[in-house]
Amino acid sequence: MNATVHPLRKYARPHVTRTTTCPGCGNGIATQAILRAIEELDLRMDDFVFVSGIGCSAWIPSPFFAADTLHTTHGRPVAFATGVKLGLPEKHVMVVSGDGDLTAIGGNHLIHAARRNIGLTVVLMNNGIYGMTGGQTAPTTPRGISTVTSPYGSLEHSFDIAPMIVSAGAAYVARWTTHHPRQLTKAIKKGLTKKGFALIEVVTQCPVQFGRASKLGGAVEILKHFKSNSVRIEKARKMDPAELLGKIVVGEFVDIEKPELSSEWTRLIHSMREGRQ
Amino acid sequence: MSKVDVLSQNCKGVDQCGICKYVCPKDLYRDSKEMNSAGYIPPEMTDEASCTACENCMIYCPDMAIVVHKDAQDGPPAGEGSDD
Ligand SMILES: Cc1ncc(C[n+]2csc(CCOP(=O)(O)OP(=O)(O)O)c2C)c(N)n1
Ligand code: SF4
Ligand code: SF4
Ligand code: SF4
Ligand SMILES: [Mg+2]
Repeated sequence: MNATVHPLRKYARPHVTRTTTCPGCGNGIATQAILRAIEELDLRMDDFVFVSGIGCSAWIPSPFFAADTLHTTHGRPVAFATGVKLGLPEKHVMVVSGDGDLTAIGGNHLIHAARRNIGLTVVLMNNGIYGMTGGQTAPTTPRGISTVTSPYGSLEHSFDIAPMIVSAGAAYVARWTTHHPRQLTKAIKKGLTKKGFALIEVVTQCPVQFGRASKLGGAVEILKHFKSNSVRIEKARKMDPAELLGKIVVGEFVDIEKPELSSEWTRLIHSMREGRQ
Repeated sequence: MSKVDVLSQNCKGVDQCGICKYVCPKDLYRDSKEMNSAGYIPPEMTDEASCTACENCMIYCPDMAIVVHKDAQDGPPAGEGSDD
């Protein structure tokens, strides 16, 4: 018998003994990265509200994390989280959900939360597909990749999420792949300490729905693909677009200070109260 | 104290996943012989003395099925893992 307990197990609900994911799914790598960031920052789960939508990635915090978790409707976690943050501005409000949930059906919520610079930390799991519903093409499916709904290769251009959210106005944006769990942990820590909207895009493997239809292969093959195709943003800025086709630009896209919405509201409420006395 | 513990019941199988085998810079994992209760074959350590406690296998395992004890005695000094 083995009595060893994983050091991050203390952040999980005791009755949840298994993850909900398929073997080799990248969601588990991000799960550890999130929990390790919380441990290294010495935060308590009671300081958090986790909000997720619908999809495989939405199962990362719920039911696993021993914290307040809101498992909401498809596409709407950012809208729910906006309400939570305005009502409970002292909490860390973290959204964990998929590329389909956050950039397809929920795309408008995401760009407007970035524009408002509301203090949410969004961990967006980008596996380039609708995993949970059987592997349909998503707005993030790389052009030319085969899925169950694009058997001859997707003809569409895909969203480049990280720069899109920079343009929308976020204070912090980073992108890493599941081949970079240590950098990912650091980025989540920065996102959590940032006063403002923070997006951490995680390019992740779905070996089951994405791997099979695209013929990119299993978990290890996709991880190898991430490793050989990742380019640091500092280097990418000096390359021309043609050279970057098919590459995954990783690193920090933006890290700036600007007024955050929930503290602006708090300030306004205080000044109105003082004015009344 | 052992340097590495595989929590076999959590593992989803070296055939289907196998990430630990891929990320170990010393290539120290192989398939074990025994299936867990969910029907998956977990990995087993071949040569603990060569393990540098770099923690790659623990950090990358998507099912939190590996624990590395950095403070365990003997063997080479603790190595720093790397992602790229
Ligand atoms: C309103 C509504 N439309 C569609 C669905 C079906 N649906 C469930 S999950 C999902 C896509 C999930 O994709 P993503 O967010 O990328 O998550 P993944 O499973 O890939 O992690 C869809 C379309 C739904 N549940 N509700
Ligand atoms: S379908 Fe894909 S994304 Fe969903 S749990 Fe399985 S491997 Fe992960
Ligand atoms: S990485 Fe974890 S789940 Fe995957 S084969 Fe190794 S021990 Fe099992
Ligand atoms: S700690 Fe590092 S060297 Fe030791 S088994 Fe794990 S990956 Fe291999
Ligand atoms: Mg997806």
